[in-house]
This record gives sequence, structure tokens and C-alpha cells, in this order.
Amino acid sequence: MSEKKKAAPFFGCMISAKYPHFEAAVRYTLPRLGFELVDLDGFTCCPDPIYFQASDKLTWLSIAARNIAIAEEAGLDLMTCCSGCTSSLAETNFLLKNDDELRERVNKRLERVGKKFKGTIRVRHIATVLRDDIGYEQVAKSVVKPLAGLKVAFHYGCHLLKPREIMNVDDPQHPTLLEELVKAIGAEPISHRQRILCCGKSCLNEDLPPRMMKDILESVENESPDCLCLICPTCFDQYDMGQIKMKKIFDRKFEIPVVYYFQLLALAQGADAKIVGLQWHKIKPREFMEKINAIAGV
Amino acid sequence: MVNFMVQVDLKFRDKLAAMIGGEMHNLCYQCGACVGDCPAARYSDDFNPRLIMLKALLGLEDTLLCENSIIWNCTNCFTCYERCPQNVRPIEIIIALKNMLQKRGLNPQNVADILKNVETTGRTVLVNETVIKRRQELGLPPLQDMPVDEIAKLMRASEGDTDE
Repeated sequence: MSEKKKAAPFFGCMISAKYPHFEAAVRYTLPRLGFELVDLDGFTCCPDPIYFQASDKLTWLSIAARNIAIAEEAGLDLMTCCSGCTSSLAETNFLLKNDDELRERVNKRLERVGKKFKGTIRVRHIATVLRDDIGYEQVAKSVVKPLAGLKVAFHYGCHLLKPREIMNVDDPQHPTLLEELVKAIGAEPISHRQRILCCGKSCLNEDLPPRMMKDILESVENESPDCLCLICPTCFDQYDMGQIKMKKIFDRKFEIPVVYYFQLLALAQGADAKIVGLQWHKIKPREFMEKINAIAGV
Repeated sequence: MVNFMVQVDLKFRDKLAAMIGGEMHNLCYQCGACVGDCPAARYSDDFNPRLIMLKALLGLEDTLLCENSIIWNCTNCFTCYERCPQNVRPIEIIIALKNMLQKRGLNPQNVADILKNVETTGRTVLVNETVIKRRQELGLPPLQDMPVDEIAKLMRASEGDTDE
């Protein structure tokens, strides 16, 4: 379906109901890459891959399959903008395509709402769509304000890459996808020691996640980037809010601005800084905002 | 530590094997590949996916299916899924165990909260005035009400659906 260069965007709960400026960035950038977003009616929560899945896997699969069936009816691939949604929808798509018995059980439930999972579409994270359907070169061509001199560290997050047999995106140990996307907008990708460590968001223990996040933030800080870039609103939540928690828990001050990749892409494509929405982030040091405003020409 | 003189509870193992994703626990040969890169194991003294698999193999139901079960320390990162040479996919066993906790009413409050949000609104995140206003400012389409009636139908278990 890649030759058509369109897909149904699946924004999910975190983006649409908490970080809508990420949705605005996606809606701004994709059409400028010659990629059509076809909005479909009737999607619900993906549903949540951690707590919802923990309650009952069959129900979790059924609600995810209902979302997939909506895209199947329209003959469109699903383009997810959150790694959590990707995890739920891609795993469901994989399991139900490959396990006849499970598909039958889920379809029995879907009958209650007049839907059927057929297994005819793909579920892909938007970063993958950028690389495979659009291409790094096309991304670079869309740039009118290159982010020259901007040092961008990144955090991959777990659910974009793993499990590899399902996600089929990049090498989970040595990924290059985000690095290439950062280069395409004229910025400088900055690697760091803990770039593939889990952020700990889904661990229910109170003690572990803050220590994991502290190690990642220290690893990032060591490389002195201008910002930390990621492709998932949940990871964003963890790091933007998280830096305030670091102060409370460890009395350790971090001031690393966190951005969703498509905010940077929008800026590079000439978007108004207001749409990009950095003013709504918790961590926004003056120096960084000045750099961004200089790029945006504010 | 696990007492190796216990009698294996095969009934529990049958129940676990009947859960979606739970059947592969039988293939675990305790090599420990799941432990090396497990972030939860690295950051805590008491979380160890190999030991969780051992407890499952021995059928130590009460130590796994209890309030504040250690399995909730899993970070859901899928690294063990990648490493396991036997395709046991320890994370899937842990998720199957969480499903069993739910049936016993022993899952943490977070699960009930998320279920309630999805059941009543179709979303995990509740919509507030700030977001509605921001969406307007950004020129985004207004958020639609979700088909909660359909979600309710899908959430209802029916005979033959349940694993246990």
C-alpha cells in the first residue's frame, strides 16, 4: 500500500487529549512530504498496552482489533504516532494474522459490534513511515529552515523497536532511524550511553523508574545537547514532567528540553512557533527557546 | 530463595498454559538469558525474570499471584522477549500472570482506573478544558465522543472466552 502514500493516522489518547500540539505537528508536516492523512471515524483507545492488557488479554486484543478493522474497511494502513499505540496495534495485528484460533476467538467477540478482523493492513509507527514511504531525502527536501547547529540527543524508547519480529523497524541494539531523521532536518544527532535504556514508565515500583530516568538524563546531560528528542508522547511525559520529579526525589536539577521529533520537523518546514507549542512544555530554558525562536524567525 | 524440595503444582501450570501467551512457560530451561539485559533486574535486588519463570515451573502460585506481586516490577521493555532462546517470551508469561491476578481481584488500583476510564470515555486520558482550548487554538478538529457502547460490548466476557 506504500505506493499510494497515504494512511489513516492514529493519534491515541496521550496525543489527542494531552499533547495536542504533537497532533498539530504531524498534521502540519506529513502533507508537506506529499503524504496524505485520511482521518477515519470511530477509533477508541488503542487500548493501553500495560494496564489494560494486564486485565484481560482477549478484551485487549478485541478492542485493538476493532480499531484495526476500521482501517481495514477503508483499505488504509494505520499510522501510529505513539509507541504505546504501536505496541498494542502492531502486536494485535501480528498475533491475529498468525494465529488462526486466536483470530477466531477475537472475531467472535467482534461480531457483537458488527466488525471483523481480516488481516489486510499494516500498522506502522510514523517514524517508520517517514523512512520507508517518504524517505530521508524527501524529508530533507521539505526543509526551509535547517536546524543547523542544533545538537539533538535522542531516546528511542522500547516499543518502537521491540519485539523485533513484530515491529520489524530497526536493530533494537544498534538503531539508526532517529539519527537519520535528525540529520535530515539539518540538526546534529548526539549519541549518549543510555540511548536505548528503558525509561521505566511502565514499571509499577516507586523506586526503580526514577533511578532509571536519572541515569538516562545524566547520560544525556554528559553530551551537552540542546534538547532530547523522542517519538512517543509517553516517553515525553516521562522526561518533561520527570525532570521536575528528579528535583524533588534526588534534589538534582536537570534542564534538558524535551521535544517530539515532529515539532522539530515542523520548525524546519517553517511552521509558526506557536503551533509547535514549546511554550506548553515544563522544561524550556531561555537559551533553548531563543535558539528555537531564532530558527523560526520570531 | 526458592525451596527446591517443593512438589510441582501441575494444576497451576495447566491454568497458566491455558492463558493467551502463557503456554510457552513449559519450554523454559532456566538459562538466565532474560536476566542479563533486564532493566528491572539491573535496578532492583529482588526482580529476576528467571526466578519468576522458575516459580511458574514449580507452580508456586501463591508467591506469584498475591497482592503487590513482584511481577509488577517488570518494565514491559520486551528485552527478555528478544533474548530468550526458547521463545518463552517471559514478558508474555508475566502478562498472562497479571491476567490471572485480575481474575482474583489482586491487581493494583492502576488497572481498575484505566479500565474505568476506557469503559466510561473510550480513552485512558480524560479530556479537560485546557486541552479543548488548545485544540481550538491549534485549529485541530474537536474531540469526538467515543463509541463507549461498543467498548462495553467488547469488554463483556462470555462463555468459552475465559481461559481459566
